[in-house]
Amino acid sequence: MKLNEQQLAALAAELDAVKAGVMSELGDKEANYIRRLLLTQRLCAISGRILMVLGFITPWLWGLGVMLLALAKILDNMEIGHNVLHGQYDWMNDPVLHSQRFEWDIACDAGSWKRTHNFEHHTYTNIIGKDRDFGYGLLRLSNDFRWRLRNVWQFVTYLVLSTLFQWGVSYHELAGERVFFGKKKPDRVNSVSHKELKKAFFGKGARQLFKDYVFFPLIAGPMWLWVLAGNLLANLIRNLWTSTVIFCGHFTKDVHTFTQEQCEGESRGHWYYRQILGSSNFTGPRWFHILTGHLSCQIEHHLYPDMPALHYLTVAPQVQAIAKKYGIAYNSGSFLKQYATVVARIIRYSFPGGKATPA
Amino acid sequence: MNTSMSLWRQRLYRQFSLMLANQPKLGYYLKPLLHWNKPQWHPDYHSASVIDICWETEQMLSIWLKPAASWPGFTPGQHILVTLLHQGRYISRSFSISSSAALFTQQKQIRISCRIQPQGEFTKALASRITSLTELSISDAMGNFVLAPNVDSKDLKTTVMVAAGSGITPLWSMLSSMRCWTSPIVLFYSVKNAAQAAFLAELKLLAAKQPLFELRLIETDISGRLNLIRDLATKADFSLRQAHYYLCGPAAMSQHCKEQLIQQGVPAGAIHSEQFGFALPAVVGEMKQALILQKGKEILIAAAAGVPLLQVAEEQGLNPRFGCRIGVCFQCVCQKKSGQVVNLRTGQVSGDGPEQIQLCISAAHSNLQIEL
Repeated sequence: MKLNEQQLAALAAELDAVKAGVMSELGDKEANYIRRLLLTQRLCAISGRILMVLGFITPWLWGLGVMLLALAKILDNMEIGHNVLHGQYDWMNDPVLHSQRFEWDIACDAGSWKRTHNFEHHTYTNIIGKDRDFGYGLLRLSNDFRWRLRNVWQFVTYLVLSTLFQWGVSYHELAGERVFFGKKKPDRVNSVSHKELKKAFFGKGARQLFKDYVFFPLIAGPMWLWVLAGNLLANLIRNLWTSTVIFCGHFTKDVHTFTQEQCEGESRGHWYYRQILGSSNFTGPRWFHILTGHLSCQIEHHLYPDMPALHYLTVAPQVQAIAKKYGIAYNSGSFLKQYATVVARIIRYSFPGGKATPA
Repeated sequence: MNTSMSLWRQRLYRQFSLMLANQPKLGYYLKPLLHWNKPQWHPDYHSASVIDICWETEQMLSIWLKPAASWPGFTPGQHILVTLLHQGRYISRSFSISSSAALFTQQKQIRISCRIQPQGEFTKALASRITSLTELSISDAMGNFVLAPNVDSKDLKTTVMVAAGSGITPLWSMLSSMRCWTSPIVLFYSVKNAAQAAFLAELKLLAAKQPLFELRLIETDISGRLNLIRDLATKADFSLRQAHYYLCGPAAMSQHCKEQLIQQGVPAGAIHSEQFGFALPAVVGEMKQALILQKGKEILIAAAAGVPLLQVAEEQGLNPRFGCRIGVCFQCVCQKKSGQVVNLRTGQVSGDGPEQIQLCISAAHSNLQIEL
């Protein structure tokens, strides 16, 4: 259903009211939650690294250590890092939890992430040609893109991307800016020079590699190989998990795409409308939502990227009711069901044709 | 050689900390762990325990603090940033230290005296919670509003101090820290009425004891506003140009006195002033002033109410970092040092202390100080 400008304005007003209800109450509850999570993350990271070395007692300890380190990295990247970098906790004025100062345990430099993700992806969500996150310039995920031969093996490309996800994310901006390969696109305005992009990419990447594959193995002495393998495994688990969660947020069967003409000079209401149609949720128990960094509530996240994420679950029913009232599809389902449609989508568009999905 | 070595060590430590913890210093990584039950400790500042409190006047609250051993001390006249964890967030405000240097050297205590403003977020929170507070975070002492070193040596020039309202705090710290008096000091203390004059009993005692000190209390309810030049003209054996001046109070008062003195031929170098907040709320009126600090430069621009600060800055030829321009991406977030802004999307008015704001959806609500 197409909404007229009046309806869109009413939609914006209702969604703004939902947000205001949460944002006016921010205080001890949210602050204590994120501080507790930060404490949990630190405890997992440190105990994980210690347990890996204790693997000489029994390999089970090593296994536990790997899982704890993977959990620490997932918490750091998802529920803490991603949300803090959105400025969800800026109001706390805490230097450890501030979007301008936060840096995370992943190969991607936080500054680069904020430009490609916070700005490009969240402003131009699912606008073909503007939101490079739709397919990451690697995958053909709708008929808005011309079919090429390389799309035939794009499922393998997807598996490789998931395995190396942190490096894909880290290289994303440099690929978009054509720093190393390709012809520069004339319409791209870059606020950061290629030199700075390269410096951030290599600097952050080198530090992460040094930490996990040189420093910690070295101080583990005879256990160096176990520690090295454990760190590799923890990074892999994190990569697969984050990639899977993120793919379920925008590439499920029913998400819509938009053309640049549709969104030129769009109203706030249309921006909201596009965020709902461009995202998809999945359900699960509370701990599961925390592990996804509440990206299981991708729709609410896209409507309110700066709202502390623990509230997404509480506002979801209100958002769903508003979407229903305006006849906007609210895309939600179980995790497995949503993921199955992602896989189907990647495979379907490996081949020519298919439906175009503009709203 | 020594400095380049320590610079190197600092850089190495920073790189190590970035590698290990993704933080510029390891303290940031460890804070949630080591101080998990003390969230009120701000990682950038020193903790200080609250020893005692006392109301100096109906509106002015004095707090005695014992800073942690890491706090490096102060020179009378300096101020500190006091930080409080209030409803989950750190809020800060600067206060001059109002106690003597001796209190710190002997008992390791300092006192701050805060005027509680009913519309001020920080002081209101402080006053309402002060009886249950046991600890605050404080910054290093800052500022160069201190007595010039020649004042208590052989220089026999008169020192003229002008305090308005709570502007008495740093001046009282200077006065109560004086150990040997060699030259005369006269204090003009302008208040609404005597009931609102903090430290009045102590000042009167000092004036009675110390012949070189003269106290002139101006009650504006009775005698109208202070006219410094006229009042100084009545003083015997006094030459305007042969004196040092220390002015502390609202920006308008300091500015006015300074202009008058310069008109009378007083060299600018002899006038020291501490403005109590560049941005004392000029809430009414269409135009506000924004002092922008960029790479060490200060630029004063006019900011109309209701216009996003990002646009204001760009129209003045500045180029702050920006992204979506609709309040989504947090690219244009920067530090507001003082003053109030209004969020154009929600209509909410901010506090007046240091905090981060989104330039693209914030407009000036009072005069502002912003760091790009």
